[in-house]
Amino acid sequence: MTAPSPAVDPTGPLPPASRSRRRTELIMLVFAFALVAFALANVGFTLKGKLPAGAAVYLAVYLAIVLVAHLAVRRFAPWADPLLLPLAALLNGLSIVMMDRLSAQVNPATGHPAISSSQANLQIAFSAVGIGCFVAVLVLIREPRVLQRYTYTLGAAGILLVALPALLPASISEVYGAKIQIRFGSFTTIQPEEFAKLALAASFAGYLVAKRDVLALAGRRVLGIDLPRARDLGPILLAWAASLLLLIFESDIGTSAVFMGLFVAMLYIATSRTSWLLLGFLMFVIGAFAASRLVGHVAERFDIWLHPFTQANVQGNSFQLVQGLYGMASGGLLGKGLGGGQPYITPLVQSDLVFTAFGEEIGLAGVMAILLIYGLMVQRGLRTAMSVKDPFSKLLAGGLSFMLALQVFVIVGGVTRLIPLTGITTPLLSQGGSSLVGTWVLIGLLARISDAARRPPPRPIQDEGLTQVVTLK
Amino acid sequence: MNRALRRISIAVLVMFVLLLINVNYLQGFQTASLASKPGNSRAFYAAQNQYQRGNIVTSDGVTIATSVLSSSPNDSIKYQRKYPHGPEYAAVTGAETIFSNTGIEESQNSLLSGNDSALDVRKIIDLITGKTTKGATVELTINSKAQAAAYDALKATGKPGAAVAIDPKTGAILALASYPSYDPNDLAIHDGTQLNKVDKQLLTDKAQPLLNRALQGTYPPGSTFKIVTSSALLTQSPNTTINTRLDSPTDLTLPQTAHVLHNDQGEVCGDGSGQAPLITAFAQSCDTTFGKIGMQIGANALNDMAQKFGMNDANLNIPLPVAKSNYVIPPSLALTAFSAIGQFSDTVTPLQEAMFAAAIANGGTLMKPYLVKQVMASDLSTVQSTGQSVLSQPVSASVAGSVGQMMRAAVQDSNGTAFAFNAQAEGGLVIAGKTGTAETGTVNLNDAAFTSFGPYGNPNIAVGVIIQGGGYGASAAAPIAVQVIKAYQSAVGNQ
Repeated sequence: MTAPSPAVDPTGPLPPASRSRRRTELIMLVFAFALVAFALANVGFTLKGKLPAGAAVYLAVYLAIVLVAHLAVRRFAPWADPLLLPLAALLNGLSIVMMDRLSAQVNPATGHPAISSSQANLQIAFSAVGIGCFVAVLVLIREPRVLQRYTYTLGAAGILLVALPALLPASISEVYGAKIQIRFGSFTTIQPEEFAKLALAASFAGYLVAKRDVLALAGRRVLGIDLPRARDLGPILLAWAASLLLLIFESDIGTSAVFMGLFVAMLYIATSRTSWLLLGFLMFVIGAFAASRLVGHVAERFDIWLHPFTQANVQGNSFQLVQGLYGMASGGLLGKGLGGGQPYITPLVQSDLVFTAFGEEIGLAGVMAILLIYGLMVQRGLRTAMSVKDPFSKLLAGGLSFMLALQVFVIVGGVTRLIPLTGITTPLLSQGGSSLVGTWVLIGLLARISDAARRPPPRPIQDEGLTQVVTLK
Repeated sequence: MNRALRRISIAVLVMFVLLLINVNYLQGFQTASLASKPGNSRAFYAAQNQYQRGNIVTSDGVTIATSVLSSSPNDSIKYQRKYPHGPEYAAVTGAETIFSNTGIEESQNSLLSGNDSALDVRKIIDLITGKTTKGATVELTINSKAQAAAYDALKATGKPGAAVAIDPKTGAILALASYPSYDPNDLAIHDGTQLNKVDKQLLTDKAQPLLNRALQGTYPPGSTFKIVTSSALLTQSPNTTINTRLDSPTDLTLPQTAHVLHNDQGEVCGDGSGQAPLITAFAQSCDTTFGKIGMQIGANALNDMAQKFGMNDANLNIPLPVAKSNYVIPPSLALTAFSAIGQFSDTVTPLQEAMFAAAIANGGTLMKPYLVKQVMASDLSTVQSTGQSVLSQPVSASVAGSVGQMMRAAVQDSNGTAFAFNAQAEGGLVIAGKTGTAETGTVNLNDAAFTSFGPYGNPNIAVGVIIQGGGYGASAAAPIAVQVIKAYQSAVGNQ
């Protein structure tokens, strides 16, 4: 396959020498490492008055995996965006610190810590696996476009992954009322939806790229809205309805909202039709309203959101939400300091409500920094989407970035009572391997696409005059 | 597609701005209102565990509650509360648990935890001098020897009961013990799951170990109430003396009923002449004599006198809350006779029993009982101290002298109901007291009560004891009071 490379006018000025910015990335990584090391020391001194015994091992492992990631980027994606890896590594490092901190303090009300120390150790193991997957993405997928070949395979795999927990008996798939996991033995669980999201995003990008012209142009105009032909839209609607139905069946409205948003956004990016956006939003509102009436689990979420402070709710359903809010409120502007708060009071503070633990201990200043880090990551992703030329890569990068933003919005908005709280993971911060590994794969894909986007065209060879350079593949 | 991407970027920007505004609102403006919302225990726990909690010590310097560094490495609460004497002082100290406090731990919590505003100046001094701020030390009026004697003696009976000792001149509580008791160390654990288990076990225990019988248990006073009846009689008719002969029939038919009141086991009162001196009737505890006195002076006079001795007061706080001791005005003359001998609806706390004797021992002036002697900051300077105050003046000094004489007779005279136990008080110690046996229907399960003071002539301790199902007051309750009085005399060097 021969891909045309932009012609370079030999008479014009040479393009400015692009820089790979790998040194910037390294400096930022060192900065991230320093922040994490400082945070870990802070926890140790606050809780025990000394550096914790395992701190050196933690930091050594963290430094090693971060450096491996950096070297892999240098080798396999030298033009990748220099901020994506340091930003993700910083959040992942803060997660390791928080898990260590949560495992080091017993909740007096229950007599045990929010997570055991072995679970805290698993978090750093999963970080290593996640960064391993990040490297694997860079090594295995040299060109983002190759994913386009597997449009239908990835779509089928995505739907299968989403459906799996629903098909399995509740004993191995149910957690806190939602059927979203697969349990192996008594300890290890996998949440397949974390990977399904990625497969479906890639599948949709492939499908929409192939069909975007017919979707945008062919069709009838009904009530001022351009509707595409059913045979073009069919597969999308099918996948959409299937994933939604499964999610409602699995009682996991948070992920359902993320999926919905992902589909609508990608459809909009592909067709540039505002009507799709309106239609999608409308469908989501109708879907959410219907779910709130039909699914008890969802109706309860709305009640908790609207009336969290009633005596019955405070002691019961909204206990988790209000304790998270109380934690953030007790943190105030600057927080109680890492190790200085009482995050263990909040149930599930290690996973769904981890953002409130940061709010309690590093305060408004800290959580604003975390939100800005997420914002920067999304911004780097969207910028990549805008600058990459290949439409499939463009759509995939746009979809993945928006999905990351939406996930942050749904969970952070949920725990801060901006929107109803639905249990999804906080990317890179929550405890749990599936989410961590899935997000690292996402970062890997964005890094790969950004490498393609920022890679400078080959320099024309001066001596050969008007010779046009082509890339052979 | 870039135009759509740009719009998506704007949507993302809006989402993040919304999140940023919301966290600013939450952590910048709503902190105060969220801090006072229901179920927000963070501020309470943070304050509760901010400083090393102060000790609770007895007046003779025995530490009965202290806080040490928690030995558990992952403890989120830095200090662990310890009660070196466990169940012995549980009725006094209560327990500091992770959920709530009881006893002195609860009533003096703000001072012990170091959060009382009275400690503010000292905290500033600590800040300047670089000293670690600690909670204040609470020094109680309890005497460890008297307390040990009281608890050990109660425990030896194996029956539920309580004993309270008061210094009649000041109102300082010298001993306050309840049995069966519990070990507050079991409740001070930093493990809510285990705590709930222990708590449930204690709550469902038929022996009711958590009940502080000394202050919260109310029992029929039986014949100890004759102190009130005698006081009312001597106050109302100044011509009556302890030697005045009063009607003391063996059987007393009560008006408007067929019920016949007779003395315990049909005993003859006095010399059998049908009349006996008041002091003899008191010492022998003749129910017929006092039933008649009750009917003669009337329920209102009894009620007035009972109230002056501290009964019918629901607000007594020492500073632990004390249950109300009841005298209910009976609806008929017959029942007035019963109420005059501590039956009918009369109920008293063991503390009230001690207060009967304390008022008589102190020349008729009842001092307000109190448990906290003083509160000291960590630099041993006094933050608060409890002043003595008069609660009431139930009787004149002369009436108190008369009743005291009769109480002496009940223990010292050979026909007195508690004479048998006088032998235990060796070394010239003279104890005055009054026994009480409240019928519960089964003779062996009668509640035994004893109120006493000593040494007669210059009393420094008044003791009230009630044993549930103890049988005769003299045999079950009196020995406990005698032991407490003896222990206190040796503690203060009187022997």
